[in-house]
Amino acid sequence: MTSSIDQQHQDSQTSVSRPWLIVMLREITVKVRDKAFIFSTITTLVLIVGLMGFSAFLWDRSSDYTVATDSQAGGQVVQIADSMLSDGDSMTAEQLSRDQARDLVADGDADAAVYQEDGQWVILVDTELGGTLNSTLSSAIAEFSMATNAERAGVGMEELRAGSEHRVEYLTGGEDRGLTTYILRLVFAMLFYMSALVFGLAIANSVLEEKQNRVVEILATAIPIRELLYGKVLGNCVLVFAQIGLYAGVGLAAANVTGVAADLGWAFEAAGWFIVFFVFGFAAQATIWAVLGSLASRTEDLQSNTTVISMVLVAGMFAGIMAQGPWLAVASYVPIISSIAMPVRLLEGQAQVWEPFVALALCLAFGWFMLRLGEKVYQRAVFQGGRSLKWREALKIEQ
Amino acid sequence: MEEPRPDGIRRRGSVTYAPSAQGTQLEVRGLTRTFGDTTVVDNISFSVEPGQMTGFIGANGAGKTTTMRMMMGVLKVTSGEVLWNGRPITRTDRAACGYMPEERGLYPKQSILDQLGYLGQLRGLTRAEALAEAQRLLERFSLGDRKKDKLETLSLGNQQRVQVAAALLHQPSALVLDEPFSGLDPTAVDSMVELLEEHMARGVPVLFSSHQLDLVDRLCDSMVILDGGKVLASGTADELRDSRPLRHRLRCAQDVGWVRGMPGVTVEDVDGCQATVALADDDARHALLQRALDSGLREFTDLKPTLSEIYREVTR
Repeated sequence: MTSSIDQQHQDSQTSVSRPWLIVMLREITVKVRDKAFIFSTITTLVLIVGLMGFSAFLWDRSSDYTVATDSQAGGQVVQIADSMLSDGDSMTAEQLSRDQARDLVADGDADAAVYQEDGQWVILVDTELGGTLNSTLSSAIAEFSMATNAERAGVGMEELRAGSEHRVEYLTGGEDRGLTTYILRLVFAMLFYMSALVFGLAIANSVLEEKQNRVVEILATAIPIRELLYGKVLGNCVLVFAQIGLYAGVGLAAANVTGVAADLGWAFEAAGWFIVFFVFGFAAQATIWAVLGSLASRTEDLQSNTTVISMVLVAGMFAGIMAQGPWLAVASYVPIISSIAMPVRLLEGQAQVWEPFVALALCLAFGWFMLRLGEKVYQRAVFQGGRSLKWREALKIEQ
Repeated sequence: MEEPRPDGIRRRGSVTYAPSAQGTQLEVRGLTRTFGDTTVVDNISFSVEPGQMTGFIGANGAGKTTTMRMMMGVLKVTSGEVLWNGRPITRTDRAACGYMPEERGLYPKQSILDQLGYLGQLRGLTRAEALAEAQRLLERFSLGDRKKDKLETLSLGNQQRVQVAAALLHQPSALVLDEPFSGLDPTAVDSMVELLEEHMARGVPVLFSSHQLDLVDRLCDSMVILDGGKVLASGTADELRDSRPLRHRLRCAQDVGWVRGMPGVTVEDVDGCQATVALADDDARHALLQRALDSGLREFTDLKPTLSEIYREVTR
């Protein structure tokens, strides 16, 4: 026991082997205990689940139509209409006298009434004829009439229908996804913008806290100062990835539970790319925030010196939401901004297979350059109290 | 488990203070730092001996903090060197030091036990070791029941204690403390001194800066007086005192106005039956005492200069 303490005493004389790991772990543990962090994460999760639930409600809302009629023929029309409706929906006939049918529609107990008057079909509604009801009933009436006429003329239904089948082809995509694509663009853009800003500021504040309180001087005697930078950047990267992973996981689970997944399946590939780009894009700009924290001398300084990076992020967000064609294509190669723009192009099926890899490589190169430059600035600036510094000024400081 | 060790290791609580075989000697040689055209620390040299407490004194802006920061590697050295047992100091040596910077504050929003654990880990302890040692130190400072509190909720004096704990966690091989006693009440100073003495007993050299000259006088084995970036005087308290001209106090039954005009006697002050004098040689002493016996000699004592006096004299 005592000899192990001697040993321990010896060991304590050498510096730790992976200081960045200890710094990283502290960064993470402090943050996951932070009430504001927990609260914002839970709020976002609730929003995601809520959004999925809402979409499911929009997609899945099953309609049961009640249609009143006064004849056998009307009942058949409703039956045909029912078979034309999509899976969730149904239409039932209520066979009564014509006056009762009118009353039912007037009271709102039936969505419509169908009957024949003077050899013509009538669709009776109270104030408004919904699109689905209109089209299905109209088609059903046409179908019914055709069948009746065909029978009367002695022609089979199949012969009558021959050559009338058609199919729909889309130039892009498999079905109309305009709105969903737009919503996903919005979600990608907002998620990246918010995460980069929130976690970026967290990195800057964490650096500034150590600078202001001079803890950094104690830390500098224990470990090389760049290890501190690595630990902070990595710690926050891990946090933000865990958070985005959690969002994606919960979103996916909610999509499956609510049944939205079947409708959204086509978007998952782009969403997967978004996460990859998110990781690279966030990491590439994380060092910048650490450096900004080291350049500031008070919290107020952060407001002014983070303007440029905030503007870049805003630009990236707008490019992601609004840019089209060549603008979007250019944006999808600019590091940081590409984190939104490239997944958007993938979402819209505009990008070639090799394009995301090139964009990632550019992002990686940019991130590497920022880390090397940032290290130099950080090491100098973090010991300079008193006033806020500029990048150039900090680089000129004799360490 | 607790069998006595032949090499005389003392156990205190959970930690063993092993007297190091030779201790550590910390030395700066020709240390210089310039900022642009201004020389803040100008070619200074001194050493801090193993197991000794060295006071670093000087006015604000004398260069104390800059020197300490250079010693700890926080600031680059313009020229000169910092030596550890006679060889250039390495990063590993520095990591083994305990350092308390001038403007203080650890992490205000983290619990004190938690952050001490972290600082210990960065010094190479395991998390468990660091927490155990932090716990022990906090209990010693009567902060055991506040270990879960955030640092910012503690009084300034208590925050300072936590800061000291941070410097001592890893059984440092040397201590460099910038104004460790400022803001502490006398009891707190005493308990901290007691703690430092335990570390000195195992050969740890302690360098601390202070404005409180009486404290430095009371605590230090040696001192370094810095002014305008230069060392004005350094050495043990006795060496410093001996380097000053010795003065004496003479008190007799009768008036001693006669001291004026005696050969070899420099009179600093005469007040009725009492005088303060400096003597050129033994002849002068002999003559003075002879004459004093006639006046009814009551007292003749050496006046050792206080540190404050030496400080004022050298920085004048």
